[in-house]
Amino acid sequence: MNASEPALIRVENLVKRFPGVVALDDVSLEIRAGEVLALTGENGSGKSTLSKIVGGLYQPDGGRILVDGVERRLANPHAALEHGIVLISQELTLAPTLTVAENVLLGRLPRRGGAVDWPETRRRAAEVLAELGVHIDVERRVDSLSVELQQEVEIARAISTRARLLILDEATSSLSEGATLRLLDIVAGLSARGVAVLMITHRMPEIYASCSRAVVLRDGALAGEAPLPATAEHELVRMMVGRELLDYYGSRVAAPAGVVLEVEGLHTADGALQPVAFEVRAGEVLGVAGLVGSGKAELAMALGGAIPARGDVRVGGRPLRLGSPRRAIAAGIGYVPDDRRREALLPPRSVAENISFAWLGTITRFGFVRVAAERRDVAKVVADYGVKTSSLDKRITLLSGGNQQKAILGRTFARGCPVYVLNEPTRGVDVGSKSAIYGYIQALAEKGAAVVLISSELPELIGLSDRVAVFHHGGIRAVVSGDDLTEEVLGAYAVSGTRPGDHPSVVISTDTPTSADTPTSAVAGAGRTR
Amino acid sequence: MNQSTAERTDVKAAPPARRPVLSRIAAATGPATGAIAGIVILTVILALTQPVFLTWGNITNLVGANSVTLVLALGATFVLLAGGLDLSIVAASAATGMVFGLMLQSGADALPAIAVTLLAGLVFGLLNGVLTSYARIPFLVVTLGTASLFASIALLLNDGKTINVFDFPGFAFVNDFVLGQAFGIPFILMFDIVLVVITAVVLRYTKFGRGIYAVGSNAEAARLNGINVRLTTMLVYVIVGFTAALASLVQVGRLAGAAPTFDATLLLTVIAAVLIGGTAYTGGEGGVGGTVLGVLFLGVIQNGLTLTSVSSFWRGAVNGIVLILAVALGVARQYGWLRFGRKGR
Ligand SMILES: Nc1ncnc2c1ncn2[C@@H]1O[C@H](COP(=O)(O)OP(=O)(O)OP(=O)(O)O)[C@@H](O)[C@H]1O
Ligand SMILES: [Mg+2]
Repeated sequence: MNASEPALIRVENLVKRFPGVVALDDVSLEIRAGEVLALTGENGSGKSTLSKIVGGLYQPDGGRILVDGVERRLANPHAALEHGIVLISQELTLAPTLTVAENVLLGRLPRRGGAVDWPETRRRAAEVLAELGVHIDVERRVDSLSVELQQEVEIARAISTRARLLILDEATSSLSEGATLRLLDIVAGLSARGVAVLMITHRMPEIYASCSRAVVLRDGALAGEAPLPATAEHELVRMMVGRELLDYYGSRVAAPAGVVLEVEGLHTADGALQPVAFEVRAGEVLGVAGLVGSGKAELAMALGGAIPARGDVRVGGRPLRLGSPRRAIAAGIGYVPDDRRREALLPPRSVAENISFAWLGTITRFGFVRVAAERRDVAKVVADYGVKTSSLDKRITLLSGGNQQKAILGRTFARGCPVYVLNEPTRGVDVGSKSAIYGYIQALAEKGAAVVLISSELPELIGLSDRVAVFHHGGIRAVVSGDDLTEEVLGAYAVSGTRPGDHPSVVISTDTPTSADTPTSAVAGAGRTR
Repeated sequence: MNQSTAERTDVKAAPPARRPVLSRIAAATGPATGAIAGIVILTVILALTQPVFLTWGNITNLVGANSVTLVLALGATFVLLAGGLDLSIVAASAATGMVFGLMLQSGADALPAIAVTLLAGLVFGLLNGVLTSYARIPFLVVTLGTASLFASIALLLNDGKTINVFDFPGFAFVNDFVLGQAFGIPFILMFDIVLVVITAVVLRYTKFGRGIYAVGSNAEAARLNGINVRLTTMLVYVIVGFTAALASLVQVGRLAGAAPTFDATLLLTVIAAVLIGGTAYTGGEGGVGGTVLGVLFLGVIQNGLTLTSVSSFWRGAVNGIVLILAVALGVARQYGWLRFGRKGR
């Protein structure tokens, strides 16, 4: 790279204000062709705001943007695209009622004569998706897909344009490990071809695997810049959170007590979840690992009452009638779904209402909301769980992604349930806050809650769980604990359903299972000792 | 505690002086900015050009003329907030009006006649509610169908003829109430105010009201957090049926007659008023305050057209244009297409 050549993109002294917040405060940085630059920092530090300005979605209140050394005004995403800037934003921007193929090539549908060339559209869309290792029917409507697949479609759309700068705003946060690795491969390939990539992520391993430099934001200002991989991880973390993070996963001393949650033969009619059995004790964290489609998500939803399911589930000895969130809540199950936007948020409502509507059963008397108590309890959740917001009355969607997540966790934790079912609770959350959330989970367990933690991040499962149940093809293939609790063992079970070494080669398969090859409850039972 | 938390979590206070006046007004008035601006501008123009406009007589006339719209619009606010829409509301009102007329004709006292009318409204609402929430038929289909059904019922009840109720014994009470006043304040204005306060309290401060906002914002999130989505949706339609019946009482009271047909533009006016008031057609956002402003705005326009002797045929055109402008303004607010008073743009 020639140092005298102007940078591909250079931003100078950017300032962006929102009511009550300075989201960006005099930020300058540059990105060179072929460079993979990490942009990181706490939730609400201004990363998405910066990426939206460069992507033409927001206009800065001050400062300027130079493309190839020439000052440009990026009035809208289209103008940014003309300079080769493509943004995959944190909130998905797909057209939900269109097909996968239409979404991938949106705005660039191939034509023959005057009409759209549909066979060509389907062929090209399928080709780009195949590059990502995704094989789905491109004729499917996008709103019928899971978040992960929607994210893949969004990525496919971005990489199929002729980008010079690709901005990935937490593009990997809803991807499984395999899909993440494939995306990082593609990033490396693009970089080799001279495409610059700005990667926004909270995941350290990704930063170290892909990026040659990291820029850190804190409270909207530049907190530092670090060459990679030369800078040690704890240095980078300190730049982000402003202090050392000791004891990342926290710990708890209380030993698990009596069984609180008993599950026997729990399954769904469509076979996505095949009969599983396990128990969770008071004060215990049961981790759940598995690939996307392994049945772990269905387990979470079945326990939360979100989907119809059959089987025997008992909370504190009392049988739970499945299939209704209301009954699950009444039984004392605190369920946090993984798809924030679709299943947890009330987008047009305030932070306060988004927190308190989950308590309508308890915060009302004679049908009336006890307003003073509501205000007080909401303020307590915001303070206790570090939700960064300029006002309780701010629209929840104006909060940064990580802070939305903290509000959702806070409203659920504040209910004081005997059982928690947490599906990807730290998705999109910064390292400092992750550590804080781990602390809250430890505290819940310490106070006697039984926690089922579903996560695609193996380190977090290992750091928090007493035991980890690994799902594969719809059922539990193993329950791992003690010295076996390593990424290799969990990864091997998740991918092939067997221990490392038992299988000659590791095959990633996303086929739907046709038969359960092992009686899952027996395996689960065998591993139940701690 | 409250205060300190808010400060502690503040990222960084933006210097308030830098924000343009217009954008601050827009932020403070929320989604009803358009309606408020419209009312202020119109009031100033009419006050300056039409001396009668600000007289108490004209104002009470304005209130009386718009009470039916207001009562219907309050009901419609509930459905729109819950993410639905009720196209049968005006037809239901005509049918309940006929029920009231028949009751009076049969010699019933005022109170039983009113009770039966309100009950009829509840039944109509229940029909819409059950079909949309429990039978899961799309609300547009259901209410389009029932609108036709209720219109037919209104005609069938008295063979398509208007019932002149003025001489019936039960009517005196209603008539006195709708046209009467105390200390120079019309009863109907007090009635409007009480109804507005009740609906506002229900929406803001009750479990049911919060549930409506939650269902309209994200029905799945509402369901997962224990809100009974179907029951909430059903009750919302029942409320609309009830307000349709209330509106018919006011209407019959004003006209001293129950007519089986109705003004076709009323449905549009009602829904337009709610939307102009800033309630989102996508649900979950807005409220009673905005609806009052929306009704007032359209009422003032109508009043202005009357005072300036413009043909009433213009009414529909004006309402339509105002609706589109007001909703466009709301969309612009949300997506920032028009940036109020931003310098350098
Ligand atoms: N449209 C908006 N209106 C008002 N405030 C906003 C808006 N967008 C962002 N903010 C505020 O600006 C700050 C920075 O937000 P931003 O989304 O850039 O954070 P982030 O670094 O991307 O965080 P995360 O890691 O959680 O995604 C936050 O305090 C947020 O509440
Ligand atoms: Mg962000």
